[in-house]
Amino acid sequence: MTKELSMNDVQELITTAPPEVRKIIERVLKAERDKLYMKNPRHINDDILTIIKEEVR
Amino acid sequence: MKLLSLRLFNFRQFYGQTPEIVLASGDRRKITVIHGNNGAGKTGLLNAFTWVLYEKFTAAFASEEQLVNKRAIAEAEIGATIECWAEVVFEHSGTQYQAKRVCRAYKQKDGAEQNKSELRLLAKNEMGRWLPTSYQPEDVIGRILPESLHRYFFFDGERIEQIVRSNKKAEIAEATKILLGVEVLNRSVKHLGEARKSLEKELGQIGDPETQKLLKHKEKLEQDCDRLLERQEEIEQELGYQDEIKQTNGQRLRELAGVEQLQQRLDDLEAQEKLTREKLRQSRANLRQAVSSRGYMVLLGNATAQFRKLVDGLRQRGELPADIKQQFVQDLLTSSRCICGTELSDGSEPHRHVTAYLDKAGMADVEETVIRMGAQVDAIDRQVPEFWQEVDREQANINQFKMSLSHVEETLESLREKLRQSPREDIRKLQSRMDEVEQKIRELTLEQGANQQQIKEWETQMGELGRQVEKHRMSESRQGQVQRRIAATEDAIARLKQVQEGLGQLFRVQLEKRVQEIFSQISFTPYVPKLNEKYELTLEETMAGQPASVAASTGENQILSLSFIGAIIDRIREWSKGKSGILMPDSSTFPIVMDSPFGSLDEIYRRQVARAIPVLANQLVVLVTKTQWRGEVAEEMTDCVGHQYVLTYNSPKPDCQVDEIELRGTIYPLVQQISGEYEYTEIAEVN
Repeated sequence: MTKELSMNDVQELITTAPPEVRKIIERVLKAERDKLYMKNPRHINDDILTIIKEEVR
Repeated sequence: MKLLSLRLFNFRQFYGQTPEIVLASGDRRKITVIHGNNGAGKTGLLNAFTWVLYEKFTAAFASEEQLVNKRAIAEAEIGATIECWAEVVFEHSGTQYQAKRVCRAYKQKDGAEQNKSELRLLAKNEMGRWLPTSYQPEDVIGRILPESLHRYFFFDGERIEQIVRSNKKAEIAEATKILLGVEVLNRSVKHLGEARKSLEKELGQIGDPETQKLLKHKEKLEQDCDRLLERQEEIEQELGYQDEIKQTNGQRLRELAGVEQLQQRLDDLEAQEKLTREKLRQSRANLRQAVSSRGYMVLLGNATAQFRKLVDGLRQRGELPADIKQQFVQDLLTSSRCICGTELSDGSEPHRHVTAYLDKAGMADVEETVIRMGAQVDAIDRQVPEFWQEVDREQANINQFKMSLSHVEETLESLREKLRQSPREDIRKLQSRMDEVEQKIRELTLEQGANQQQIKEWETQMGELGRQVEKHRMSESRQGQVQRRIAATEDAIARLKQVQEGLGQLFRVQLEKRVQEIFSQISFTPYVPKLNEKYELTLEETMAGQPASVAASTGENQILSLSFIGAIIDRIREWSKGKSGILMPDSSTFPIVMDSPFGSLDEIYRRQVARAIPVLANQLVVLVTKTQWRGEVAEEMTDCVGHQYVLTYNSPKPDCQVDEIELRGTIYPLVQQISGEYEYTEIAEVN
């Protein structure tokens, strides 16, 4: 009888975030997806740092 | 990725340039069938795909260093360069790509030397022109269908059971996570953590002494944590290695005459032990979940009783049900006349009487609330026994699992003791090696657990330090900005971690369900596929009410593997239909290219697989012999076939046995005799 989690519950964790956090999450996920094919994604740490700095000014 | 066509030049058996093999796709006629006898080049064709796209070959592909057609080499002069290539055209997200891999051989006196191959990738732009892609070809292809996953989609049907064999499990689990998008989350969390560290370093350089001190402490903890995490990975690898040794030793024991049965029994028991541990873990998790999510209900008894007492009191005093509406009384007072006709002038006795009803009428709101709350209170009361039942059930399960675990452990130990006491030295030696491995595994597992706990503790400490830094007053705006960035990053990490957990669970449960559906549709056995937390796939059956792992046959494992691939394709298609957007993998079309697709399956299974696979895959290419494409398979698939090709093997052997196949009323040669020195294969389209 364990409650089954729905996709909406999971989505909500992102949609209810403050705007800048939400933007960071969305952009980071996209950046990671773009480099998913690489075992060790090049420059990913710099990319993410840039995203954070751009979103929180 | 939708495959459009394949063309070869001097590749293996194929002399010169082949006609273009156009591959079927679409909703209905999505199958391309390529007929060929053994040795005609079916495996060569499958490997042409994997070679072009990933420079990889399947296990059945022999002599990788001889890609260039032998006849082409023989006809060339010494010192000449002979080229061979394969070209795959495919489509992804509306763009067409042409991938061509070229390999050259230099003919020398004593044979030919093959060079490293080169991949070229062109994309068709809006104007219809083919231009090189702006990124490395390998990267572009990797983004469309990662290399680690190609084995799911281009495979040898006779060996497909490898997917669920134990030594590949970790690798396959990793690939599944990538395919489902779970890996994106894992990496996001990891790399956001790195970004946070950089930000903290920045803050350390500009912050006041107290902040710097706190940050330094935190940084130190982080380094310790990283070291331990590295060690955890090492342990994981070492455990895998020890497991391999264990399996090799087990294999050797099985091969020794006289103990093979004993070893088989040991294997079965060990599998049983693993399964029971997993069940035990699950039951404990269920119990924890039940207590944390619904445990509070049992403590509400007093509160619900008090609620009922209050309501009963109201009823007894006649205040409930409130059968008169406030508005109604108000209307009477406004019109200054009662329903009985009496005038209601201000200050008169009748006016006072009617006004008193206003209070009573106010109870209508209370009544509504009582009804609503009553339903909720009833629900809580009803759920309490259900909750206790579940707790009892899980506790009974836990006891049961513990008992069977200790029973299995005892039996295992006595069996091992038998091997230890064996009169034969080779057996004793092997067993003592096994004992060492077991000991090592135990030590590693213990260390792993201790490390896990330590990491958790440090993480709590780091969280606390982070909060202290945050509290620390920041005077300068630049420090404030860095702090805000750190806070936002931490929030993002926390949320992603929850998403990670939720999604991992959601995907696994749904994927498992789909594998089970497909498997039961194909297989006539009562076995049930299970996908554990690590995405490892096993087959289970129920024996005397208890789940037990199955020593599945090759055929069952092949069906399990096919069900798994089918389920993944199917689930991803479903998930990407939803609005889940950013969490989803962007590839939702997958081809399946299968060599000898029906492996060692018997007639019933061949029919079931032939029926199920076309429904699951977006596009299917099957490479078959005449016997593999007989009766039931042809019957089930014919309606979905878009294109068919025949590989004609030209044999220089004078007395070779010729063969042919009849397709759509025309006879095509499968093997024919030629004059000349070299064998080669030609491709003909079936019209």
